[in-house]
Amino acid sequence: MTGITSSTALWYASRATGVVTLLLLTTVVLLGILVNRQGRLPGLPGFAVTGLHRNISLLAVVFLAIHVVTAIVDPYVTIGLAAAVLPFASAYKPFWLGLGAISLDLVAALILTSLARARMSRRAWRSIHWLGYAAWPLAVLHSIGSSADARSGLTLGVLVACVLATATALAWRLSRAAREIPRAGRAAAALNRMSARKAGL
Amino acid sequence: MTDSLTLQHLPMAAGNPPSGLPGLGLPRLLPGSGTVPVDLRAHLAEHGPLRPAGGRNGLLHEVAAAGLTGRGGAAFPVARKLAAAAQARPAPVVAGNGAEGEPASSKDRSLLWISPHLVLDGLQLAAVAAGSRSAVLYVPRSERLHGRLAGAIAERAAAGMDAASVELVTAPDRFLAGEESALVSRLAGGPALPAYRPVRGLPRLAPGRTALVQNVETLAHLALIARYGATWFREAGTEAEPGTMLTTPHLADGRISVTEVPLGASVAGLLGLDGIQGPAEAGTAGPWVPSAFGPVQAVLVGGYHGAWLPAAAAAALPLANAALRPLGAAVGAGVLAALPADRCGLAETARVARYLALESAGQCGPCFNGLPRIAAAVAHLAGPRPDPRARADLERWAGLVAGRGACHHPDGSVRFIRSALRVFAAEAGLHEQGRCSGTDPRPFLPVPTGSPATEEDWT
Repeated sequence: MTGITSSTALWYASRATGVVTLLLLTTVVLLGILVNRQGRLPGLPGFAVTGLHRNISLLAVVFLAIHVVTAIVDPYVTIGLAAAVLPFASAYKPFWLGLGAISLDLVAALILTSLARARMSRRAWRSIHWLGYAAWPLAVLHSIGSSADARSGLTLGVLVACVLATATALAWRLSRAAREIPRAGRAAAALNRMSARKAGL
Repeated sequence: MTDSLTLQHLPMAAGNPPSGLPGLGLPRLLPGSGTVPVDLRAHLAEHGPLRPAGGRNGLLHEVAAAGLTGRGGAAFPVARKLAAAAQARPAPVVAGNGAEGEPASSKDRSLLWISPHLVLDGLQLAAVAAGSRSAVLYVPRSERLHGRLAGAIAERAAAGMDAASVELVTAPDRFLAGEESALVSRLAGGPALPAYRPVRGLPRLAPGRTALVQNVETLAHLALIARYGATWFREAGTEAEPGTMLTTPHLADGRISVTEVPLGASVAGLLGLDGIQGPAEAGTAGPWVPSAFGPVQAVLVGGYHGAWLPAAAAAALPLANAALRPLGAAVGAGVLAALPADRCGLAETARVARYLALESAGQCGPCFNGLPRIAAAVAHLAGPRPDPRARADLERWAGLVAGRGACHHPDGSVRFIRSALRVFAAEAGLHEQGRCSGTDPRPFLPVPTGSPATEEDWT
């Protein structure tokens, strides 16, 4: 393979958008964990983290859409429209593409329920949003299994970095959950913090 | 609570009542004199048995014609809620809300203590409208009040006069305990905590089961409308805001009373304010208004989710939302407090702001982080020589908190604090110079001690 021809362009586009989608999805998971634990990013107010989480999710969806469409249109391997949505329906690498299809369906469910959030109960929305935690590892496994080049070089580096970052964030989340202030004491704790800060001035 | 209650009644011109109808005079909800509870026999002798003519549809029609609005603070049209309840399947659980978490208000517990049968009549009527056979009365934790209400319910059961069974449920002593979704959570067996409610209409108690929640004073008005009709109801109040309401005036000498007035009554009349504005003396924060109970600098209208108004402005106003809303205030649940000229308005606001912050349910970040930060800044402003930037910081934080909670606690708290920044701006200027116009350090507005520490404090 010496250059990008019209037939390889789609293949490259699909690979590239796949990698970018994985990076974006990882960012979404990290920010989601931060939002859930009321964490902060330096220089940003709390609600801006929520906004960033939401906007990067939508950006990831755009890249995911391009990734899927280019993979379907690419004549190098035949992946039908059905195989992109229905798990394990593909003739080519049915298991690994199937994981990607499940991940895609989960992301679609997250988007649709978030758009309809004002019309549904908070509990239902929340329980579906938990599926986000399943979509990410499926996407990682799909990346490892369906591309041979993900086993070495830069792509492998990206994968390892994503997994390490998410594992660290999860560990942080679990440790924060363990020492969470019960809601009855939250306002009082905040007031003590504020008074201490004022006294320190 | 009710031991120290003094009842005042504004005299009203008594017309010639049509036969069978009570006179136009007030009060309607409380007995003409004294604070002696009205038992069932006295209640029936005064008002006669409850026989709503025309059944459910007649009742709905009469309430719509009366233009009765909710007396718990939100002033939502009662007819619309009853109509929604009449359509709900299965029939909603009916709840009378007497939690009265507002520390400055005592009208609901006074009404429950003195005229329980009007409230219980209204609860039965709401159950008729909803087609429900079970009702709940949600009341503050007080053994005396519980004993009295349980006695009243038993009296009625013995007389066989009620179709719907009535259960007493205790409200915790929390500011938000009477918030509609908090009440619903309590009825469902959980803590009395507000919840995010995206869908308009009746609140949901359990999957497929809704609740019809009405303030206890609203129910008492319902009992009178069912007997005497919409035309009688509209003889008091204004065209847009008909009827009477119970208020809790806090007079400048520290006395607190519960008084029934027609909507549109003058605020000056309720607080004994003179129309004449006093001088703005050197060393004071602003002009004050003389009253029968001492000079007044500002009036808190609508309770701790309400707004401060300068005394001179408040003295010119009627107690009606049409006049108060343009000034950022509202009638609310009828709390009016005349702040004496010798107190520091910022110190009063700081005490209440701290209380409101501690009463956060701890569920929404903007509320349980924002309100403590705002309360700390108000306390800073109430102290000597505050940072001149503190006021701008407060305005900015207030904007970040308002509208961002599951319930309206952040919105109401911020409304109260912003009004203090406007009305006590001159006082804040004095503080920046290291002075204060307050000479009496005693607290004026009632603020309970003790904040929630465990989940049980909400049950």
